[in-house]
Amino acid sequence: MRVIILTWEFPPRIIGSLAHYVNRLAVELVKNKVDVYVVTYHDIWNGYDEGADGVKAYRVSNPVKAQISVITWDLSLNQEFARVAADIYYSNNREVNLIDAHDWHCVPAAVSLKKAFHIPFVFSVDSLEDHRSPGANTPFNLSIKGIEQLGVHEADKIIVKSEWMKQEVNRIYNVPSEKIAIVSPHSPSWISEIIESYKEAAIVPEDIRAAVG
Amino acid sequence: MKASLRVVILSWEFPPRIVGGIAPHVYNLSCDLVSKGVDVHVVTCDFPGAEKSEEINGVHVLRVDSSKISSPNFATWVYLMNMHMQSEAADLINHLSGDVDVIHAHDWLVANAAIGLKHIFRVPLVATIHSTEMGRRNGLRTDYERMVHQTEKWLSHEAWRVICCSKYMASHVRSTFVLPEERVVVIPNGVDINDFPKEPDKTQFRRSFASDDEKIVLFVGRLVYEKGVQVLINAVPKVLAKVNAKFVIVGDGYLKDSLAGQVNRMGLNHKVYFTGFIDDQTLRKLYGCADVCVVPSLYEPFGITALEAMAAKVPLVVADSGGLSEIVGHDRTGVRVFPNNADSLAWGITRVLLNPVYATWIRTNAYNEVLDKYNWMKAGEKVKILYQWIRSEHQDGSWKPIRKAEKYVPLNRKSNLIIRPEVEKTPSLMD
Repeated sequence: MRVIILTWEFPPRIIGSLAHYVNRLAVELVKNKVDVYVVTYHDIWNGYDEGADGVKAYRVSNPVKAQISVITWDLSLNQEFARVAADIYYSNNREVNLIDAHDWHCVPAAVSLKKAFHIPFVFSVDSLEDHRSPGANTPFNLSIKGIEQLGVHEADKIIVKSEWMKQEVNRIYNVPSEKIAIVSPHSPSWISEIIESYKEAAIVPEDIRAAVG
Repeated sequence: MKASLRVVILSWEFPPRIVGGIAPHVYNLSCDLVSKGVDVHVVTCDFPGAEKSEEINGVHVLRVDSSKISSPNFATWVYLMNMHMQSEAADLINHLSGDVDVIHAHDWLVANAAIGLKHIFRVPLVATIHSTEMGRRNGLRTDYERMVHQTEKWLSHEAWRVICCSKYMASHVRSTFVLPEERVVVIPNGVDINDFPKEPDKTQFRRSFASDDEKIVLFVGRLVYEKGVQVLINAVPKVLAKVNAKFVIVGDGYLKDSLAGQVNRMGLNHKVYFTGFIDDQTLRKLYGCADVCVVPSLYEPFGITALEAMAAKVPLVVADSGGLSEIVGHDRTGVRVFPNNADSLAWGITRVLLNPVYATWIRTNAYNEVLDKYNWMKAGEKVKILYQWIRSEHQDGSWKPIRKAEKYVPLNRKSNLIIRPEVEKTPSLMD
């Protein structure tokens, strides 16, 4: 199984807890014989890097330096995510089984890649705009929620970390609960549950498989 | 290799959604490319009442969700709209089996979507830069303006070739975005002479703008500083000293109130008529009634109104600025006057109005020039040659989508092994 993980933070760039989580995820997946590529952002440390733990990471910078908000910053950055993910796809003979996008920051690239190549797309939800800015419904917040909405709508599988988050995704975005998998990072069987959810998402219906060839 | 060329054109406006000049430009160009056997797919924003997907004169049009969630500002909306445009266009190109020769983007308004699609499908990108943030704002002051500018620069650097509509614009784009000379090609806009009435209605229709003994001096354009309407108003008394005329100002813009005040202070309310924005059909009839058309712009990337006047057989007086200097030959297809100079402008206008023989000479030459040089068939031909040229360059290179059956060879090694075939001499697009 070959997986591209998209994340806006990954060591050495650490903004919150997501960087550590994604790092642990990538390392554990490699231990379980998954071919893992991490595509992430770093402003100056760019390019390819393969760690001793076997995780292959590509770090890109933002092609547009002057920015007016995190939204526009994110949307131009996603074109670089898409470029590198497509490079990985072509250099692996078009065999990529899954894209795992972490939080809204990586949704735009994941959705376009899914539409372009029929690569199944997992949306891993760590936090939601409604919880980060409770009660705020400015155009800024609504725009981010619009991106989250696109993510939950287009995802083949949504992975959350708790029952509460599953209910919240279901409540805020009206997602059918069978599309949402709860995988607790504290569970002893965490990584095998993740791989199980990946496999469920990566099942491509026969008619699409025939069309893609 | 398939026989026909296939292009996916991205534009934020396409009829019936018309905001500015890009919609008619993309529409006319697309229709002409179809008539030349090119398979054209236009991806554009949705519009109330317009079909999601339809075929117009052989052009396949796909209208995408243009992000109706309220955005903090215009640029953020543009970026969000691009997110939707990209995913829907990716779906379209996927249905075309990725078999697209060129992706063609019009202005920074579709830069994000176009650049992403280029890399996802490894299809060459062509960008038409209609105007620049640097030119529109006359400099960059805020982060907002700098972001738009850098987005334009990013687009121009990602593009295989950049199309500009005039030599003036090409040189401006080259220096602003620091592009090598061979990357920029000049393809002038076109105008369709059939849009203009053959027999202008000089009686009833004309009387709603001017009395029979008044000559009509026509200005068409946005009422903004760089269009130079204030210069035209200062020229009004100088013209009236010699000829009885009515100055008809068509268009709208932020300077409207200040211009109306200027006219009022000069006591010229009875001689200057602000019509506001008027629809295309009425405007074309109005062109037919005008005795002279004036384009006094201080900054003008191309000057489409000058072409329209030429196509409508109206004698033309333009400021010697930007693209106008290229379109109009002095004493041949029009009168060129000093920019931002009311005396010079008044001299040009009276020269035309007092010399009917001279007026006929320049307007006939101008009309023939439009037939010869500025029609969409010519523009379409040049764009098609450009697409073919880029397709052949792309085929000779090593940056390509890898098909399933092919084995991947790292790009740097493959390019060393390849013996480049003789490429035909690149056709000139400047003439």
